[in-house]
Amino acid sequence: MSVAGVELSLAPVEVEKPEAAEDLGLDVPWVTIVWNDPVNLMSYVTYVFQTYFGYPKAHAEKLMLDVHHKGRAVVASGSREEMERDTEAMHEYGLWATFQKQ
Amino acid sequence: MGRPFDRDGDRVKVRLDAEERRLLARLLDEVAELLDDGRPASTDPLAALVGFDLTLPEDAAPAGEPAAQDEEQDPALARLLPPAHHDDPELAAEFRRLTETGLRARKRGNLTLASAALQRGGQVVLSREEGSALLKGLTDTRLVLGERLGLRTDEDADLIQEVLRQRPQADDPWVSAALLYDVLTWWQEALIAALMS
Repeated sequence: MSVAGVELSLAPVEVEKPEAAEDLGLDVPWVTIVWNDPVNLMSYVTYVFQTYFGYPKAHAEKLMLDVHHKGRAVVASGSREEMERDTEAMHEYGLWATFQKQ
Repeated sequence: MGRPFDRDGDRVKVRLDAEERRLLARLLDEVAELLDDGRPASTDPLAALVGFDLTLPEDAAPAGEPAAQDEEQDPALARLLPPAHHDDPELAAEFRRLTETGLRARKRGNLTLASAALQRGGQVVLSREEGSALLKGLTDTRLVLGERLGLRTDEDADLIQEVLRQRPQADDPWVSAALLYDVLTWWQEALIAALMS
């Protein structure tokens, strides 16, 4: 379509994309995962999730059951530094935890 | 046997007898020793305590574990200080370099705090901090024993219960280690109940 010699288009305007946040590693959350193991008690895993993360009992129990039945559960997400801190804390409690980019 | 732990306001009363407290304190000390950097990882103080032969069969070595595991030859120590990344050994190794010394020190701090508290004379009453340290210490001790007993799956853990139900000869080292593991499990459940009540 052309009006008075000005080309109009409904095509999306090409805007130079700002550097995607994910390229900078800003918006992509990292996660902390707790894995099932044969030693840690269900009551203890629930206790740790309540005590360290401050999760309500119902949520802590749901995560514990996920660990138990599915073999693992994502227990926290956030920056890499935060997930490293959480992983280290889980290790201090004797839980088998890892961190990774989501 | 009565309840081994009772909540007392903000604290936890220990109802284990003197001999049980001595045994538990000694186990905690042994795990602290295992975590001591100055000690070769291949020696195992728990072996002497439970009379359990810790020479692991060749096929017990986990296959295809990430390279970070190489730093910890002793699988029980590897269980106390596990790799922090599931499939990136390099990231796990970097994390280990940055955190392992501190983690070992904090674990040893918990273990020795709990052990010292248990060895106080008279009626032992644990502060909140000591109760939490004992709970973590019981976990680390069970992790080491569980590794020695060859527990890899939940089914393995159930098997312990089954074997013990058949009242096996306690002079078998595996059985005495399993009995010890079972008692520690019971004590830990009781401590959690006391702390959460």
